[in-house]
Amino acid sequence: MKAWLAALGLAGGVAAAQMAPPPAADCPAPEAGAAVIEQPGLRATWRAEPALAVSRPFALRITLCPARAELLRVDATMPEHRHGMNYRPRLQATGPGAWTADGLLWHMPGRWELLLVARVDGQERRLVQSVTLR
Amino acid sequence: MRRAAIGLLLAAAGAVAAAAPRLLDFSADERAAIQSHGPWPPPPVRDPANALEGRPEAVAFGRRLFHDRRLSADGRVACASCHVPATGFSDRRPTARARQGEGPRNTPTLWDVAQQRWFGWGGATDSLWAASMVPLLATGEMAHTVPALAARVRAAPDLAAGWRRAHGREIPADDEAVVVGLAKALAAWQATLVSPRTAFDDFRDALARGDTQAAAQYPLAAQRGLRLFVGEARCSVCHSGPRFSNGEFGDVGVPFFVPAAQGGGVDSGRHAGLLALQRSRLTRLGPHHDGDAAADPRALLTRQLTMEPRHFGEFRVPGLRQLVHTAPYWHDGSAATLGAVVRHYSLLDEDRLHADGERILRRLNLSPRQAADLEAFLRTLSTPAQRAMASPSTHTR
Repeated sequence: MKAWLAALGLAGGVAAAQMAPPPAADCPAPEAGAAVIEQPGLRATWRAEPALAVSRPFALRITLCPARAELLRVDATMPEHRHGMNYRPRLQATGPGAWTADGLLWHMPGRWELLLVARVDGQERRLVQSVTLR
Repeated sequence: MRRAAIGLLLAAAGAVAAAAPRLLDFSADERAAIQSHGPWPPPPVRDPANALEGRPEAVAFGRRLFHDRRLSADGRVACASCHVPATGFSDRRPTARARQGEGPRNTPTLWDVAQQRWFGWGGATDSLWAASMVPLLATGEMAHTVPALAARVRAAPDLAAGWRRAHGREIPADDEAVVVGLAKALAAWQATLVSPRTAFDDFRDALARGDTQAAAQYPLAAQRGLRLFVGEARCSVCHSGPRFSNGEFGDVGVPFFVPAAQGGGVDSGRHAGLLALQRSRLTRLGPHHDGDAAADPRALLTRQLTMEPRHFGEFRVPGLRQLVHTAPYWHDGSAATLGAVVRHYSLLDEDRLHADGERILRRLNLSPRQAADLEAFLRTLSTPAQRAMASPSTHTR
């Protein structure tokens, strides 16, 4: 786990779980090693399975808090390269607040911008995280 | 006299020093990047869509089929007529010889082909067995039809017996299943075509184990070229991993207009490949998957593909192993030599790239020495001709 986290440069309002701000009172503590994206009133934690590697297909296990939030979209782009993925992830709800997005593949090393779009209480929210894949 | 002797001695010492093995001071990042191009060979991965992979009877049958001219309608060409084993499983022609004239694309090598995610320059197929069916049925290539080829298998005792042995069952009544069965045997053999280790692999492994003496045997020009490859020139952004390909597609500024003599028009590359995939029933999502398609991650990728304007004019990023033996280069074979490829990137016409497209490539403006170094490195990804041409080992899983 540490190995793949070390392979990632997490930046831009993103932190590994141990560095995340204290969780809201009604959110469970993030799973060890999970990455966290947090906005007022919405937290997403995610981990990649298998660990992120250039050009290797992976899935994201995503937990949203509050659990009533609905995950609408997962996408990723390389802003400096001006392209996204060649695949559109498939989303599945796997439990209260738990989601899986599979069919992802990051085909180049460099800075990717991960986008999660969720709806909470009728409002669409965009969570963005910068991930450097080496 | 004494001064002259001392001068000679110093000159000799200098020459020895210049020729002595030397290892560049690769940074930690450079070393990590170099390690990412190995180890070689990688562990074999069986394709769940093809139950014949690893079956010795199927591999043997596939190897015979590869050289069998009866797989073409007129009995004139075999797979090996274009994928010539002695020339890196390519044909040394800019574009493939078609039944009439020339086709629009270069014949790709089959070394390490089973490690590809997509097949053909446009990725029109998602499995090696489906890719093997394309030339069998293409009117410009082997020009068979499914019913005619199935009938030929049934009518030829040796082909029929080989089919039955490869599959361990009787030949089915369904013609398409018979031909898919042939293609899967062809794929089972091609999956054994793993290219030999190279000087680069020895260098990479020596670095990994900290054996600086062995690593220093790698030519200095190749070391400098490697530093460019993983660094300033950013070649490894697309040519990544042990096979030196990210398995996807890119537009590197090679024209996609097809000369009139080769049919004319435009070769839209990945765009056409995606359209073909969408239309085809011969994919991992179709009826011929031998395993559980729902559990096949590659089938998921086929299902989740996107099509975007940038895919127009993109072509598959080729692996770079054994490339010395597979000239000419590009999808249209328009670069005759490795030097021409390096010059292309050095003098890249950035205006030729999509105006609203990716911003990955830039003109490298290499000095003559840098260009020579980069080529020297690329050459170390190939083995000497005799080793490369040797029959690949057939390994079963």
